Formats: sequence, structure tokens, C-alpha cells
Amino acid sequence: MSEILNKNIAKYAIDRSLKGGCSAARITLNNNIQSSYSVRNDKLDRLQQANGSSLYIQLFTEGKYGAYSTNRMEPSEVEKFINNAIDATKYLATDNCRVLPDKSLYYSGEEYDLEQYDSSFHDISPEVKCDIAFNCAAEIYKKDPSIISVNCEYGDSDDYTYIIDSQGFEGESKQTTFTLSAECSVKGTGDSRPEGWWFESSIYIDKLLREGVGLKAFERAASRLNPKKLKSGKYNLVLENTVSSRLISPIISALNGSSIQQNNSFLKGKLGQRVFAEGFTLADNPHQKGAYGSRYFDSEGIATKSMNIIENGIVTNYYINTYNSLKLNLPVTVEGPSVPTCLYSYPGRSSDSSILADDIIKKCGKGILVTGFNGGNSNSSTGDFSFGVQGFYFENGVILFPIKEMNITGNILSLWNNIAEIGTDPRMSGRWLIPTLAFESVNFSGI
Amino acid sequence: MTETGKMMTLFGVSREDLQLLVKTALSDGGDFADLYFEHSIANELSLRDSEVNSTGTHVDYGMGVRVLFGDQTGYAYTEVTTLDQMLKAAKVASKIALHSKENRTEPVTLNGKLNGNLTLNSLYKIKIPWEETEISQKIPYLKELNVLIFSADERVSKVMARISDSNSSVLYYNSEGVLASDIRPMFSLVATCIMESNGRVENGSSSRSFRAGFEFLNSDLIREIAGEVVKKTSFLFNAVRPNGGEMPVVMGSGSSGILLHEAIGHAFEADFNRLGTSIFADKLGKKICSEEISVVDDGTIPFNRGAINFDDEGIPSQKTYMVTNGVLTSYLHDRISASYYKTTPTGNGRRESFRYMPLPRMRATYMEDGKSTESEIISSVKRGIYADNFSNGQVQIGAGDFTFFVKSGYMIENGNLTTPIKDINIIGNGPEALADIIAVANNSRVDNSTWTCGKEQYCAVSCGMPSVLVKKLTVGGVD
Repeated sequence: MSEILNKNIAKYAIDRSLKGGCSAARITLNNNIQSSYSVRNDKLDRLQQANGSSLYIQLFTEGKYGAYSTNRMEPSEVEKFINNAIDATKYLATDNCRVLPDKSLYYSGEEYDLEQYDSSFHDISPEVKCDIAFNCAAEIYKKDPSIISVNCEYGDSDDYTYIIDSQGFEGESKQTTFTLSAECSVKGTGDSRPEGWWFESSIYIDKLLREGVGLKAFERAASRLNPKKLKSGKYNLVLENTVSSRLISPIISALNGSSIQQNNSFLKGKLGQRVFAEGFTLADNPHQKGAYGSRYFDSEGIATKSMNIIENGIVTNYYINTYNSLKLNLPVTVEGPSVPTCLYSYPGRSSDSSILADDIIKKCGKGILVTGFNGGNSNSSTGDFSFGVQGFYFENGVILFPIKEMNITGNILSLWNNIAEIGTDPRMSGRWLIPTLAFESVNFSGI
Repeated sequence: MTETGKMMTLFGVSREDLQLLVKTALSDGGDFADLYFEHSIANELSLRDSEVNSTGTHVDYGMGVRVLFGDQTGYAYTEVTTLDQMLKAAKVASKIALHSKENRTEPVTLNGKLNGNLTLNSLYKIKIPWEETEISQKIPYLKELNVLIFSADERVSKVMARISDSNSSVLYYNSEGVLASDIRPMFSLVATCIMESNGRVENGSSSRSFRAGFEFLNSDLIREIAGEVVKKTSFLFNAVRPNGGEMPVVMGSGSSGILLHEAIGHAFEADFNRLGTSIFADKLGKKICSEEISVVDDGTIPFNRGAINFDDEGIPSQKTYMVTNGVLTSYLHDRISASYYKTTPTGNGRRESFRYMPLPRMRATYMEDGKSTESEIISSVKRGIYADNFSNGQVQIGAGDFTFFVKSGYMIENGNLTTPIKDINIIGNGPEALADIIAVANNSRVDNSTWTCGKEQYCAVSCGMPSVLVKKLTVGGVD
């Protein structure tokens, strides 16, 4: 469906909502085109293509609120759907915090191109896509007798979003994504078949790293042979940049206005307080060119801005949308993270220094490099966590052997008060730019 | 008009259209094609800050075309069911047959006689359809739940509750001429309670989910959920994290079925075994655990969240014994893997929606009764833990390492349940853990919480277990 048709349907939906008796409405249209080509060993295993649209309708009727969605875009279906939605909303209790945003907070126009869209998306032939996946698999298939299975997948998507509300806000954004991933299984000891994976992702097809993806998956699988379980105890923890977002995620969740308002956050009441290690800063830079997650406005149309969420250990901002702003009597910031990243400063560390995983492993000397998580969870009220992990034991800055069947257990606040180092090496293929992290004295459970 | 006839009217297709679509899907040389039409309407109603103040309806409509060429799959879907759009999707999916012709596998064929048939009575016949239920009929239940939770404990500071209901109309047709339809309801009730005491905050959740109509939402269920969520949350104020390490673990009956789901269920899904990537790939027909253990994956439990009349590739649902008296007797198959193993499909080919191709997926996975009693099992443990409340789990199929997160339980000391424990992850190795189950109780039950499996795509499942003793697992903890 064309963007013009999409916009017309969204405008029609706004019109129907207001004529049906709503005091305000917001319509969000999403259109997605995607394809994927998956190669197993030496043949195409799966081919998928799709094109989908959806209409997300938020209705505000004198303090009553409902959120509805449909992918039936014919005007007659939309009209029937909205009429039913308006009827349903009327049954609810009034909640005066359910309103559209303060108009002065809206994003009001483009500044510079955030470099989120590759206009060559539709020119890439199926043959080229297929070849990318085949070449990836060919890097390793039959290249080592230990290999059991190779699976490589090329995928792409073109996502378009259009938001319009009854106060006059109108905004649109589009993003392309190209990914190449590889999984490799190798014969291990006994019945085990360790797996390794790797992936690359880019907003532009020309910038998608295609070489070495299969090889890296094999190397990671082969490195998992003969793992050992260590004795339970406290170890230094170094967290690879491929998975480091996992330990920042509980903090981001706890900063969410809804969690704060529902008294379900270990950071409730901590605004303005130092609760993390001095020198630790969590920043959000939503206008970074070419970074996944960069955006000028959030789902309410509120303009995003660069800000420190945690600054030198002090909680300086929550993620507050219009609803939670009115509930909590706090100013609106933005509904959630765009491009969060971590910084760490201490005497002697220069702001332009490059600190990579190897540097951090050497600095820690002895400990466990975690390269993957296996389940686990954290308690949103208390910050207590426990996660299954896999990785490698190291001593004197040298990796010695893989570890297996171990858990890390602790509390997020305690953990982030024991930072050993934070690297400068986030992977640009991730949505959150979280680099290699290191913490001192973390509880590992094993034997 | 028959149900299937009504469904064809809903999607605006005739039998001739279906035949043309399949013919187009096979036009490039594919062996097998199927069409999956779906119209789902999902409603939700939420209580927050003691008011029922948010609602929503979500409509999802479309159809998917799958083409098999040997064991290779072409898939495309469309959200518009005009014949020209469906033909376009069929043509896209057909292209799989143009690739890798030189090293294709044998065409996927049905082996043996299917267990069950497509005309059985529905496993989820409903009395009061959700589409005939007004919001005003649901609101009192959420309010009653809120009152019951607040009145049960003065430490309650917040309650969140949600009723979700959905109805999926499904029409299926394939190149073997199988034409079938199904109406799949789903109902879930979830309550979360936040308690605060002396500056300390804890949260707990409780849920139920069934393939059922409005008749399943009643005051008895509301009282059950309210009592359970208050008990779960208040328990946490006295709980600690234990010392970590290897120790015996007693899994309580019911939701401990997550151990089966993660430790062996995924590893028994035949796609992983067909590719040789599962740690159980060479174990079919071999003894893998105590003779006291039999494990089933059952899609035929009436009103169960994992029940299906037929799977998403037209195979009648069935009760499949994966482990029979300690021997691995069957993997969980879709058509592709069943053909590879030259056996009949087990009705496990499932998908999240028309947007996805089917994969081998679990339904209701549980262990059958053993001979011990739970108290005998607990009293046999000198030092270990007892776990009976879980939130999530995961598995690494090849290495076999699985985990599950324990929301609450107890320490076991000298055969007695002692200090309450909470918020710890437990990790083990699937084949070893299964072989390490040394006692099975006679209290098996299926847990009816909102279990959802996330293998590439989401699928409603359930799990169950009698109380068992696992000789050794690695328990997360603190020094």
C-alpha cells in the first residue's frame, strides 16, 4: 500500500473518531516489507516474503481511553471498527490523565537526516540476497570435520510509520534494516553439540558486513568445546558487548514511568539521588546519525532530545510520557530509550581513550568473560537478579577454557556500584550502544 | 451451511479459488502446498489504580501460502484476500522450487495412518462466545478481584489486572485436498499485586488461561486468583536467596513442568533432531531415564491452553508419548520431520499466525504420575531446595543446558521445608537432569497459567508435572 493511501486512511480514521464522539484521537500507521533467505549447509532452506500494514487507534473520550488495532484497511472496515471501539470505550471509568500531549512538546520539523533509510532497498534482487546467504554458509560448510550443521540467513525490512493526532501533530519516519546471521553446530564431547552464532546488521546494504560472519559463528562454536563448571564463589565478571545490554535492561525498565507509578521499580523515589557508582553515566543520544533507534519524536509525537538519564551515579531523569507525567506530577521527558549508551570516568581515564574487551580482560586479570545468557530474570521491585551464563574463564588476562552450567546472582544496584571498567566498543549493529562491561566480585554459582 | 462453508464465506473464497491457489503455488515444481487463512479478534480490559480504565480490540486478518520442495520451504502471506493478492503470494512461495534442484531431498509424504480425524467434536466448545459478551459484563469481575486483593492484606499498595479474550477463525486447505476449519477461543486472566512493608516492596503475579468462553470467568476463579496472588506476594517478604551451588532440587507439582518444557521438550522437537543439532538426536528408542518416567505432549485436553483440534498443517491433534517408561519413544513432528523419520506427523506443526510457517511446537507437556508421595520425597533430602513457583525458562538445544527462574520456594534441611527462598535461576543439563530424576510423586497436574513458548514465534502452551526429586542441579545464590 502506498504512503499516500496510508496517510489518507489515517486521516479518515481521525475524522471518523471525532465525528463518532471522541474528544481526541491518535492514529499510528505501520507498513512493513520484509524478506528473508535462509541457507542450511549448501541449499536454500527457507524463502519468505511479506508486506503488511496495521492501523493503531488510540481514542480519548472525556477521560476514557482505549487502544485498538486492525490490519483491515478498507474504509468501510475502518469505519465499522472505530464505531465499535468508541462504543467499547464508553464503558470505562474516567481517568483524567488520559489526554494528548502538551502541544509545545511536539516535534516540529526536520533538522538533519538521521540516516535511517536506504533508498536502494527495492532495487536489490532476490538473487543478490540469496547469494549473500549462500556465500556466508560457504565460508564454513564442509571446512571442518567437526561441523554438524550450518544455517545462514539474510534478512531485510523496510518499516514506515506515520503518526497523526487530532491536535494537529503529524510525523512520519522510515527505516531499512539489513541483517546477516550465521549459526553453526559442532560435534562436542559425548552427546553435546555446542552452537555458535554471529550476526551483522546495517541500515544500508552497502555497509552490511558480509565476510567473516560464517567463520565467526564456527569459531564461537568450536571455542565451546570441553567446557568446565567452576566452584561457586565471587569472580570478576567481564561482559562481552554482544550481550551487555542484558545487564542494563533492568535499569532501563526501572526508569520507566509506568513502573515508577505502579510502585514496581527499585528506582522509585531515587530521582536526584546517587545510587550508582560515581563516574557512571547512562546517556541517551536520539539524534545520532546512522544509529538504530535514532528518532526525532516518540510514539506520542514528543520531540526527543539528548539527555543523561544517570549522571555520575545520580538518577537525573525517568522516562516519562504524558500519562505518567500527570499521574506522577513530573515533567514529560520521553516515553522510553532511543539510543542509550554507558560512559565511565575515573581519575586517570581520558575521555578519548579507546578501551576494548582485551584491555578490560587484562585489567581484570582473573575472572569470567560472559559471552551469552541462558535464561534468568530480575525482580523489578527489588533489583535482585539471577541469570544463567556461558563464557570463558581467564587468568592473567588470558582466556583458558569455556565454562558451563553457571549462574550469576546479585542485585542490580550493588552490581552497578562495583564497576571495574566500561569499554568504548559498542556494536553499532545493536539498538542499544552498550559496550563491554566489567564488574568486581560477582556471585557465580557452579559446583 | 457447514462451519467450513461459513469460513469460506468469511474469507471470500470458493473451493475453485483454493484449488487455483494451490495450483499456482506448485507451478514452479513444488511437491506440496497449503493455505492457512486466519481472522483473529483479541480484546483486552485492564484495571489499574482500582479502576477499569483501559480497553482494546485487535484485529488480525490474512492468509499464508506455504510450498514445500523436498524439505525446503517457500512462504508468503497477504493481509488482503482478494484473489489477485493471494495469487501473488502463491507465486512468491512457489519460487522455492527453483532453487537447489540438484541436491533436493525426497518429497514430503504422509507415512502411515493418521491418529484421529478432522471431524471430531471440538475440544473447546464454548457456551458463551466472547463476541457476544459486553465489556459491562466483564468489568465487575475485575473490580471484585481488586477488592479481594486489597482486603486480603493491608500491605497491598497496587493491583493490576487484565482480562484478555480472543477468537481465531481458521480455514486450512492443502494440495492433498484436505479442507478444514476451526474456531479457536482463548481466555486469560492475569493479576499482579504490589505490596509494601517498612519501605520494602515485593511483587507477585497469578494467572489462568483456557481455550474457553465467558462461562469460565466466574467468581470462583476470581477468588482463586486473588488468594493465590496475595499468598505468592506476601511469601516473598520472608524469603532470602540461598547459597548457590550444586544440590538436590525437589520440583513441586504443576508449574514445575517448565523443567520438562525446557530440559527435554524443545530437544525432542524433531526439526532440531532432523538437523542433528539436538543433544537427543541419536537417542530415539534408547533408555534415557528411570522406568518410572513417562512424558507426554498432549493436544487433546479439553479447554487446555495448548489444545488444538488439528494442527496448523491439517493434522489431527493427539496425545504423543515422548518418553514411555524411561525410553525415548517419539519426537514431536511436523510434516517435514515426520517424512524425514518415515513416521506419521504427531500434530505438532503449529504457528503463531498466518504470518509464520508452521514448526514442530509443544502443546501441553507433562509427566505422568509416579509412585512416591511428595512428603516422602521431601523427607529424603538432607540439604537442597524445593521449588514450586516459576516465571520463565530457556534452553540451549545443542549443549543441552537449560534454565528456569524460581520466583519462590523453600530450603530443605534434614527432610523438612525451612527458610523461604526467592528470585534464583536454576541451571542444568537436559539429558543429565532427566537421568537424575530419582523419585516421582503421584500428584501430577497440568498448570493452567499463561505459558507462552517463544521458539522463533509465540505459541500458547501449558505444562505439568508431579513432584519429582532431581539428584543434582546448579542453584543460583549468594555467598
